[in-house]
Amino acid sequence: MNSLKPFLILLALAFVMPWLVLIVYPSAKLKSIVTEVAYAKEDDTKDAVFPSGRPYLVSGARVYASNGCAYCHTQMIRPTYAGADRWRSGWSGREEDGLARETLPFDYVGEKYAYLGVQRNGPDLSNVGHRIQDAKWHYDHLYNPRKVVAGSIMPAFANLFTTQPVVGQVSELAVDVVDRGGSRYEVVPTGDAKALVGYLLGMKKDQKVPKSVAAK
Amino acid sequence: MTTDTLPAVDDVHLRARIDRSLRFPLLFFFTSAAGWLCLSSLLGFVSALTLNVPELFDGLPYLQYGRLYPIHLNALVYGWAMQAGFGVALWLMARLSRNVLRNPVTLVVAGHVWNLVVSVGLLSILFGWGTSMPWLDFHKGICPVLLISYISIVIWIVGMFASRSEKSAFVSQLYILASVFWFPWIYLTANGFIHQDGGAAVMKSAVNSWYISNMIYMVLAPIALGASYYIVPKVTGRPVFSYALANIGFWSLVLFTGWTGMSRYMGGPIPAWLPTVGGAASIFLLIPALAVVYNQVKTMEGKLAWANYSPALRFAFFGSIAFLVGVALNVMISTLPVGKTLQLTQAQGGIDLVAIYGFFTMTMFGAIYFIVPRIVGCEWPNGQMIRFHFWFSAYGVGAIAAFMIFAGLAQGHVIANYTEEFITAVERGKPYLAALAIGWFLIGLSNLSFIAQLGLMVIRRGRRDDEGPTLIHKKPEDYFTHELVTEKAAQA
Repeated sequence: MNSLKPFLILLALAFVMPWLVLIVYPSAKLKSIVTEVAYAKEDDTKDAVFPSGRPYLVSGARVYASNGCAYCHTQMIRPTYAGADRWRSGWSGREEDGLARETLPFDYVGEKYAYLGVQRNGPDLSNVGHRIQDAKWHYDHLYNPRKVVAGSIMPAFANLFTTQPVVGQVSELAVDVVDRGGSRYEVVPTGDAKALVGYLLGMKKDQKVPKSVAAK
Repeated sequence: MTTDTLPAVDDVHLRARIDRSLRFPLLFFFTSAAGWLCLSSLLGFVSALTLNVPELFDGLPYLQYGRLYPIHLNALVYGWAMQAGFGVALWLMARLSRNVLRNPVTLVVAGHVWNLVVSVGLLSILFGWGTSMPWLDFHKGICPVLLISYISIVIWIVGMFASRSEKSAFVSQLYILASVFWFPWIYLTANGFIHQDGGAAVMKSAVNSWYISNMIYMVLAPIALGASYYIVPKVTGRPVFSYALANIGFWSLVLFTGWTGMSRYMGGPIPAWLPTVGGAASIFLLIPALAVVYNQVKTMEGKLAWANYSPALRFAFFGSIAFLVGVALNVMISTLPVGKTLQLTQAQGGIDLVAIYGFFTMTMFGAIYFIVPRIVGCEWPNGQMIRFHFWFSAYGVGAIAAFMIFAGLAQGHVIANYTEEFITAVERGKPYLAALAIGWFLIGLSNLSFIAQLGLMVIRRGRRDDEGPTLIHKKPEDYFTHELVTEKAAQA
């Protein structure tokens, strides 16, 4: 290998193949499936609801990313051949309605990035919106995880809360009330916390598989 | 490569000139890299601690595992690994191309920009602008600057190769070129795909996992392998055992690495053939790993015991063995029976660490122990401290990798047993994660001794007697030191 040019050409050839096959082609293909699904919405029955319209999908994901949630929580349910995720109670969706299943590409429509995650120091969140439907539970949990889940190793996210003087009644969302120099203060969620909790409440990756996808 | 005879005087003068031209840029890259390494070790320790004592920083917002861990990881990759790689690659390329570095000042400036960009990137994670995409955590605005800074550094490496006088190329040069060619490509691809508007969200995660694998095996690994292929023959005074095997190792790495990575999402919401292809490709990475280890063992044959004396040889040899171990572990976690338990647990991080730390970092240490005396003109102050550095690093990384894999096994088995409560998985993993903190503590200690010695070398307070290179143990009778002794004579 005596000169730079043929070497670089060989190198480029070796790199361009996997690049085309693993990245360019499947990205284009998945993109078209997702667009078709969105387009075929009318043909499907009402139960083929898409999560793309759900509130806080983008703003909540932003808070999810800032706080590194994806470093301990996954958002993917593997099919039965690749683990027991499907059988864990509450993880894969509404079992009673026969809707529990592994996660599929169109579950992430409308998200900028699918936070599939890297490891499970905490539970999978694909269907946490079904498991926990109480916003207050989430606020309490984010503010003081061990008060809600004994033995949890999740950090407390004090940065998602702010302290303000109690005016009249204590706010419904207050997670704590403290006395400081005779006056009462309440700890309430910030806008970020509301976005994050809205995002978690909407996390339902068990929508019925649309006919247009099932046919493929 | 070197033989046991003394090099010609002209050669010695040229080498001395090359080393002098590289002194400031290299010392800059090595010391700043070592600084980031210390920070990363500290954060590795602290983040492991927060997994056991989650209320540790309750009073301090932002100091949560979700931010500390990515800062630790990105400091390790972009602060330490990339910069150590710049230094080693520059030196190897200059020596092998027999070219003096023409513009050290520009390089030092580019190095400052790199450090600034990394600092801003890490701060962006701390203050909530991080992306939570492993290895790509920096705020997206940082990517173009990082890339420009990268190119303005490696352009000198390519330049030295292009203007070399001899038309042949040693395998180390090929490795380095492949690395500097591949990084801009994968970095642009990953950032371009991930930060584009639209596109399938799941493919972005898949691309991320592809990026990590390519960073390890096609950006970092080649520099370490290039260094090994230089150090082992140099120290033992023997030519590479089989040059054909070296070429096979190189081209098989180039051919197969691009296909690896997506096996990290086995059963994920991406087309199932992507992880399958990734798993198959990772098996083929055994070819370059075996080729390298076999080639080195054969090159060192009969002089294997020298790894007890030469710091460079010992670190580099440990690194190559760790490369094979890392690749083998990666093959295992990419197969369905093992992967369905170990994936999505601590284990993947442990296996990555065998490659990043056990292999790449240890080899870089070896290269730095080899290079720095040549560019500053004095010897490492204390062999015993090098020994300390080696054992604490080796035990540290071994412990970390083992405990992360054990933690993964513990977590994975509970998760696989779907009737057990999830919190049991957390409890079972915890003791291993405590041990993880101890591992990072050991590594932190070893790196303090490393940076202390490096600091002494930078201010040229090394040994200046005629004893020859600093060795880990007292040198044996037949130990080869000619090259260094004559070089120093030429520099004086």
